[in-house]
Amino acid sequence: MRILLAKLLALLTGALILIMAALFALMQNA
Amino acid sequence: MPPFYLGMFWVGVYLSLVLVPLVVLLIGPVPAGSGFWWDFSLALGFAGTAMIGTLFFQTARFRRASAPFGIDIIYYFHRQSSLVAFAFILIHPLLLLIVEPSLWSYFHPAVGPWEFWAGVGSFLALCLLLASSVWRKPLRIDYDRWRLGHALLATLALGLALAHIEGVGHFVDAPWKRLLWGLICLSWLLLLAYVRLVKPALALRRPFRVTEVITERGDTWTLRLAPEGHAGFSFQPGQFAWLTIWNSPFALKEHPFSIASSAEQPGAISFTIKALGDFTARIKEVTLGQKVYLDGPHGSFSIDRNPASSYVFIAGGIGIAPIMAMLRTLADRGDRRPLLLFYAYHTWERLTFREELQALETQLNLRLVFVLKDPPEGWPGEVGLLSEELLARHLPQQREGLEYFVCGPVPMTQLSEKFLHRLGVPMKRVHSELFDLV
Repeated sequence: MRILLAKLLALLTGALILIMAALFALMQNA
Repeated sequence: MPPFYLGMFWVGVYLSLVLVPLVVLLIGPVPAGSGFWWDFSLALGFAGTAMIGTLFFQTARFRRASAPFGIDIIYYFHRQSSLVAFAFILIHPLLLLIVEPSLWSYFHPAVGPWEFWAGVGSFLALCLLLASSVWRKPLRIDYDRWRLGHALLATLALGLALAHIEGVGHFVDAPWKRLLWGLICLSWLLLLAYVRLVKPALALRRPFRVTEVITERGDTWTLRLAPEGHAGFSFQPGQFAWLTIWNSPFALKEHPFSIASSAEQPGAISFTIKALGDFTARIKEVTLGQKVYLDGPHGSFSIDRNPASSYVFIAGGIGIAPIMAMLRTLADRGDRRPLLLFYAYHTWERLTFREELQALETQLNLRLVFVLKDPPEGWPGEVGLLSEELLARHLPQQREGLEYFVCGPVPMTQLSEKFLHRLGVPMKRVHSELFDLV
């Protein structure tokens, strides 16, 4: 259970970073 | 605050630490865009570095922050999030080299500027860090050397990454951004100083002395410790601490062990250690009066955190140590709740704590189920390995309101969790401690 949550949080962090990085790149090149 | 909300609070703090540097990028005037993939790659490099910075926070062992989760899972998360950070750091140069192939010329020593080489150095340090952590055992790297190398390589990787960002100067050129970024970097450096200098210095002022070395059954020894010049610490039964023996706390040569003694007697802490590796094989050489340093208590594997009407314990080999702490504590408290212990071991002769467990059986409302792999002739008890059928035979019919604690070798722990799940036990009721992460 805790292992699953830890994995999910690591993936969530990764996904948030990818979204923010993409957002940044889009804003830069709008 | 309830543990769930406290946990959410610390998850929020973590996400802020990781994402704030990216927010800094997004706010205020920024240099003109250089194409989506170019800027996307720069943002990933920036975020990857921020993630590496937070990895230092994860292993700083802040008890308040780790308490809602258990520090073992924080270390597990450290491993998982470092893989995510590495993926971003890897994508960063790959994307740049694909988008701008002329950058390949930087690999010529006469062409590449210093900040480029700082980035390359940081990346190589990260590759070494990852390889030595994932494959420490196949590569036969000694644990103590690995820990020292890990700390040095991590500091080098972060230092070179910061030099790379500073040298490139992109996005951190506005004064307020420079100040904010500087503060973030300063927090990482302060944390490093706290973990490597302040914490060991504090441990040095709170030593423990070995008051007894007891030879147990099965190549196992118990060290009894008494605090010297201080009150020691209180702990919950089932928790563990990092032990430093024969070295200064500054030497980074510490090993985690479960506390095996009763939480009702914090002035006499004991650790029961089986000779399994280079360090543990030397435990029998510990002399009376030896100075020992402890970092603890840590961990969430405890009956005190999981109140229930009845408990089931499943131990394999030296995994009995934290369970002994719980049983001894319950005995000291005069607890009469029903308890069931499955204890798997190779032989009856080498079964650690055999006599004391049999004594506890009468003192507590405890039922013992010994499972022997190699039983003596005429053994009336269970034989072989723990199995679903064996657990089903002994578990009470009403299994849902109980709390289950499993501690032993990793395959045994994973299998026991699977068996319990199949027997209808909700996973939130099953507790185990993750050891042996590297």
